[in-house]
Amino acid sequence: MPALGRLAICLALLFAAYATGVSILGALRRRRHLVRSGEHAAYAVFALVVVAVAILLRALVQHDFSLEYVAAYSSSTLPLRYTVAALWGGQKGSLLFWAFMLTLFTTIVQLQNRERNRELMPWVTATLMTTAAFFLGLLTFVTDPFERLPIAAREGADLNPLLQNYWMTIHPPSLYTGYVSASVPFAFAIAALATGRLGDQWIRSVRRWSLFSWFFLSLGNLFGARWAYEVLGWGGYWAWDPVENAAFMPWLVSTAYLHSVMIQEKKDMLRVWNMVLVLLTFSLTIFGTFLTRSGVISSVHSFTQSGLGPFFIGFLLFVLVVAGGLLAYRLPELRTQATVESFLSRESAFLFNNLVLVGIAFAVFWGTVFPVVSEWVRGVKITVGPPFFNRVNAPLGIALLFLAGVGPVIAWRRASPRNLWRAFAGPVGAGLVAALALGLVGVPLGYAHSTFALGAFVLGTIVQEFWRGMRARQAMLHESPGRALSRLVGKNRRRYGGYIIHVGVVAVFVGVAASSVFRVEVQQTLAPGQETAAGKFTLRYERITKQDDPHVSRLAAVVSVWRDGKAVTTLAPEKRFYKKPQQPTTEVAMRSTLTEDLYLVLGSYDDESGLVTILAYVNPLVSWIWIGGIIMALGTTVTMWPTPAERREPAYALAGVRAATD
Amino acid sequence: MLEKRRFIVGAVLIAGAVSYLIYAGVRTTSMYYFSLDEFLSSREAHADEDLRVKGWVRHGSVHWDPRTNDLAFDLAHQDDSNPVPVGYRGVLPDMFSEGREVVIEGRYSGGRLAAHQIMTSCPSKYEPAKAGS
Repeated sequence: MPALGRLAICLALLFAAYATGVSILGALRRRRHLVRSGEHAAYAVFALVVVAVAILLRALVQHDFSLEYVAAYSSSTLPLRYTVAALWGGQKGSLLFWAFMLTLFTTIVQLQNRERNRELMPWVTATLMTTAAFFLGLLTFVTDPFERLPIAAREGADLNPLLQNYWMTIHPPSLYTGYVSASVPFAFAIAALATGRLGDQWIRSVRRWSLFSWFFLSLGNLFGARWAYEVLGWGGYWAWDPVENAAFMPWLVSTAYLHSVMIQEKKDMLRVWNMVLVLLTFSLTIFGTFLTRSGVISSVHSFTQSGLGPFFIGFLLFVLVVAGGLLAYRLPELRTQATVESFLSRESAFLFNNLVLVGIAFAVFWGTVFPVVSEWVRGVKITVGPPFFNRVNAPLGIALLFLAGVGPVIAWRRASPRNLWRAFAGPVGAGLVAALALGLVGVPLGYAHSTFALGAFVLGTIVQEFWRGMRARQAMLHESPGRALSRLVGKNRRRYGGYIIHVGVVAVFVGVAASSVFRVEVQQTLAPGQETAAGKFTLRYERITKQDDPHVSRLAAVVSVWRDGKAVTTLAPEKRFYKKPQQPTTEVAMRSTLTEDLYLVLGSYDDESGLVTILAYVNPLVSWIWIGGIIMALGTTVTMWPTPAERREPAYALAGVRAATD
Repeated sequence: MLEKRRFIVGAVLIAGAVSYLIYAGVRTTSMYYFSLDEFLSSREAHADEDLRVKGWVRHGSVHWDPRTNDLAFDLAHQDDSNPVPVGYRGVLPDMFSEGREVVIEGRYSGGRLAAHQIMTSCPSKYEPAKAGS
């Protein structure tokens, strides 16, 4: 079977190369049958990759330890869900998984566009298949997931214990989905540049794909944060590790694009800028993959050198040269006459938002590559850590939050004093009231205070928008409030879905600001029966419990939690010792509420004296980060939901085809 | 034209603010990241200054007192040569063990590295240690 898997990958590579070549040929010579042939080859690539994935999965589930990959990333005692997750737990498998997602999306895009965008499609297919060929080439020539061990291992080395976690089953797939689906807008951008069809058509065709990619990047980042929070046991959720930054940068640029593309659709401005953002998002996904696999930049995720770095850098350069060249070639046609008419206008607010987002992305990029750059330039490695990223990004984040309140309600073209008053009197009032109230309850001035007050301002603009829209419908159409509200959202999904996303963003901002600024951290060594204080809580260490099974043995400290003399709960942070890769891991115990999380870690345990060291963190409002994520997901769903007209469209198209053939 | 100029001023201000924040951030938060050899050759020049040093935990050098959470060990080359004593107070990282690659963040003074953070290299999720090693 493994030989068959390898064969499938080799064949897929051949078909991908064929699809690329024949699609371009078909486009240049305007031969329909060649273009169709390219598309069919792309379907075949997908089918072959599915076969390869199925064979690798089968080997994992059947514990075929004659395969190097299976022996390295799973074991016979590993639970089934992690055995399946081992598919993306290692380098080779994750590259295969990447190829799988990419060819799946290629298939979907081709099916969606059988009757549409026929001029663009050969280039779209060629671009996607070039990318697929790159990954399949790596799998064929450099890092073969079906490599056999000289002698079959008796038992696997097992999946890293840190990865044996619920989030492992959903975080990497979300992130890969976000990463890989960014290829689709990129492919359309290349197609637009190659054909010179630079109007809005390509942008409208990939609107949903851009949102889809952004959505999964958002989810992937949040899942990753949640994973780090639950598993790594240092009380935080984001450490500005290069690998985290790798996923954050394309998200930032993609966010910028989703905003600026609205300006292009409404005003036909920023065509060059938007093109650059799409190309940059894709390049950053490749750069991110490079970061995680090359070992060029040390990170907790990837200390080891894997030798894949040069290939990724090569491919990245190829992408930048081709995309940059095409962009330069079409630059005169892309430029438009329209410019920003006023400093106080929605266009300019959106542009400033874009500059800040790209500025943050640049700062993150600079901080991430700084060690490498300093080594080139000065011969010594100089690093910047989390303090750098926090210092730079906190003020930029505040600016962004402010613009999130301004952008959606300020007038297009040019805001008049009257319009400004009408749009901002209420929200600014809400922000000021919040600022004052927070001051009165003792929140000190600073980043957290500003974030809360600006959050109130942003929420004020959103509530006002919903309220005014609802009232207008009620007045004109005599609808009930509930019906008016649901119709309002239903008829303007993109706009109101966007507002809902902003509500989620505010929640995330509030959670991040509160938990960064007001967090309490205590480390205390305790004997049984001893107590320590952590914020408003009193912690009493009761006893240690021990448990042993063949896969893992556990050591748990039972800690009772008190507040104002009343028992709140009992928590039991653990140390686990996994038997196969002999390694201890930390199991955090948490009491999570809407106001704060009490987060306990068992630091150490001394068998002789019975002393334990407990690390306790009180993280205020952390839950709102996850709640904000759920709100963002809801908002994105509203935004992406097809409108009735769109849902009918394929039927029309089909009817048209039928009428033509009758 | 005036409006356009105002807009450009705004854009330049944002770009300037980003550049300044990066510049100031690098100045105040950056620190040297040395390999053990680089550190050994320049340690006196960088005494009492925050820095990071990468090396290996020397076999047989780890002393840890779980009552006080005091950790002492030697940072050395992979073959245990050229040891530098390291002191640390705090909870032992999960992945910390003899022979493992670690990055120390701390200060060098009096012939000893006082660590305030120990970063262990995760046996990476992409390239695990080969079985048996």
